[in-house]
Amino acid sequence: MAEPLAPTEIRALARLLGEMNYYELLHLRRDAGSADVKRAYHATTRVFHPDANRALEPELQEAVRRIAMRVSEAYSVLRDPRRRRAYDLRLSEEGRIRMQLAEASNEAGRRDASERGGRTREGQRFYKMALADLKRHDYPAAARNLQTALTFEPDNAVFREQLASARSKGV
Amino acid sequence: MAQIAIGIDLGTSNSCVAVSRHARVDVLPNAFGESTTASVVNIAADGSITVGNAAKANIIHDPKHTISSAKRLIGRYFFSEEVKKARAICSYDIVEGDNHSVRIKVREEVFSLPEISAMVLREMKSIAEARLGQPVSKAVVTVPAFFNDNQRQATKDAARIAGLEVLRILNEPTAAALAYGFGRGLNQRVAVYDLGGGTFDISILEIGDDVFEVLATSGDTFLGGDDFDDRVIDLLADHFLSKHKINLRQDRFALEKLKVAAEEAKKALSLEPSAEIRIPDVATTPSGETLSIEYTLTEREFNALVADLMQRTFKVCDEALQQAGMVARDLDGVILVGGPTRLGIVRTGVREYFQMEPRTDVDPDEVVAMGAAIHAASLLDQGGEAFLLDVTPLSLQIGVAGGLTEPVIERNTPVPIEQTRTFTTFNDYQESVSIRVYQGESRESSENEMLGHFEFGGFRKGRRGEVEIDVTFEINTDGIVNVTARDRATGEAASTRITLSSGLSESEISSIMDRGVADRVATAKVPDPGESQDELIPVPQPTTTQRPAPAREKPQTRPAAPTSQAQAPRPAPAPPARPAPAPQPARAAKPVPEPLAEDNVEIITAVELGDAGIASPGEGKELTDELDLDDIEGLERDGQSEPLFDEPGTDLADDEVS
Repeated sequence: MAEPLAPTEIRALARLLGEMNYYELLHLRRDAGSADVKRAYHATTRVFHPDANRALEPELQEAVRRIAMRVSEAYSVLRDPRRRRAYDLRLSEEGRIRMQLAEASNEAGRRDASERGGRTREGQRFYKMALADLKRHDYPAAARNLQTALTFEPDNAVFREQLASARSKGV
Repeated sequence: MAQIAIGIDLGTSNSCVAVSRHARVDVLPNAFGESTTASVVNIAADGSITVGNAAKANIIHDPKHTISSAKRLIGRYFFSEEVKKARAICSYDIVEGDNHSVRIKVREEVFSLPEISAMVLREMKSIAEARLGQPVSKAVVTVPAFFNDNQRQATKDAARIAGLEVLRILNEPTAAALAYGFGRGLNQRVAVYDLGGGTFDISILEIGDDVFEVLATSGDTFLGGDDFDDRVIDLLADHFLSKHKINLRQDRFALEKLKVAAEEAKKALSLEPSAEIRIPDVATTPSGETLSIEYTLTEREFNALVADLMQRTFKVCDEALQQAGMVARDLDGVILVGGPTRLGIVRTGVREYFQMEPRTDVDPDEVVAMGAAIHAASLLDQGGEAFLLDVTPLSLQIGVAGGLTEPVIERNTPVPIEQTRTFTTFNDYQESVSIRVYQGESRESSENEMLGHFEFGGFRKGRRGEVEIDVTFEINTDGIVNVTARDRATGEAASTRITLSSGLSESEISSIMDRGVADRVATAKVPDPGESQDELIPVPQPTTTQRPAPAREKPQTRPAAPTSQAQAPRPAPAPPARPAPAPQPARAAKPVPEPLAEDNVEIITAVELGDAGIASPGEGKELTDELDLDDIEGLERDGQSEPLFDEPGTDLADDEVS
């Protein structure tokens, strides 16, 4: 069982909630893997779960409850790779530390839709060729076209997944 | 005397109470030595109330005053399919109360569903007090994981009416997992397959030492052991109709007898390959000849009758596994909960579906109450022994234009959680903003469960779009939804008025408590008056499970034989000589249609702006593009022509509840 928190610590953290991003809240590095995310969630929960803080005075219980809710939110975003990608983007581009869950899902959905066929003209062109190669089971050719498509859209997860699969089948 | 908190499994057919003290968990049997008590209430002519098997014995000769399966009706709207079915089948009177609520009329008295459940809870409280020899006022009460907010709130109200402080509304499968894994230092992924009398739940959990994390949960609140009985009733009634040309379904007494026989046959089939059904004098021919039913129901025939019900449970399992991102072979164990899981077809089906032997070292009738008791004790000690990380079973959605909904909190999101949306006024000097809140997975509002129609007022007035209201949707660790609003600029809380909700208001609850309804429950005395009240009265048939010591040897991940793992040997689950089974309403297979028109309350249309706390108004305006503003105006006009409420809420100030 984790050490109970001092009231000053609880108050300070509750005040800082508006400034901490999800990684900071869960004490995670930006490149943390999914197992780390889960471990961090469990560890943080042991401290801030409302059940573990029932003895606190009402004002502190309320603060703990707010922290616990933010911890759930952080976990819900970071454990889901699609939401996490959407969040990371907003965090690095706009410095937004919070993202509503539905928004993260929607954005992930939109990104997926745009990534599926490619965002750039060249990316789309080579991806189409790769799909034709895959249909003919010409995996080395598909891998080459996907590699080219990725030079135009290096962060396209769909292209990357297809490339990995083409390579594994080509062996 | 030390404070004590109990765990209560409030079931559709049977309830169970347990206590956890001094590192052991005891199921507390009733005065008859039974570890479970029928969730049946009988109200006598003199107004006295009996609960349990004694009440159940009245089903055949006093069906109008005997209420069973109240859990199927709790927290539902009168217009729901489930209530319609129940009205067609139930022998007691189901009437409509305020706000589309459901009431039960017995003689000249009208009861809300929380009151009926409060009678059962009071009985369980009394059983615990008699066994423990001290007053009990705190409890953890369990509900099906798939219960929505209305059902949870109503259950919580029931406990309050019964005189219990609810430490937690706990999900039944989570309670079962806790009873299974507490203090054992496990690192496992388990499925809890919970087939109760009226509901089915499946939860996938990851247990890591003291953390019990629910990864996904799914369920069907219209599917349970009662449905298995219904199939047998249909078989018998059809058989009788073709043989004698008499429809037993039209005769309430005959139907009750069929129900009794069907439940007994089902229980017998948990032990034997066939069941003899004998119902003497079930009907009389026009010529005065009395007819009986004699039927041998084989397990094979029974299995064929219920095969599709089993398939329905597995479809729900598919969904839960998919939501957890797992396949059956990723699991280390399957825990069975609920009486019907004793049936051969359930055991075989579960074994085949999950490709492993289900665990039978936990008693399916008692494990939920035991888990609730463990959690109750832990909460009383300020927690810290086990952390339950549960999820919300249903997506929380808000109504938008065109009869559609938009998710705010998706299902299987860990709780507690809060999300905030910003709304703005749509008309100049608008006085209130209204939001409909739903639970369910459909895009169509009519296919989701309406939690309430919230109206927020008392904020600054300004030109359209000037006033922004942050609406916060919160789901707490009880799975109960709370919606609040504040003026974004001033931070001032807006007043909230709920214009539609199936629940009881605070004033109704206190008036019910003043009337002392629960005090009328006459509990049978635990025999053995010679015993001192200070000591635990000896339990006739001990159903005690020693809490396993922590850091115990890790159990096999795939138990080979069920008995080899037995932790607490129990007597064979012989079907107790139960006087009578509960009448049960048939389940609706379809979601409840919502007969609610857009309301005609002043000007209440809200336009959602985006996400509060983070979204700037500028960003929010982009989002408004997704809503068809013309549609909203159109709906307002439609609303005017279809008044739903008797009194349009024109004067908000008078009706504020908070």
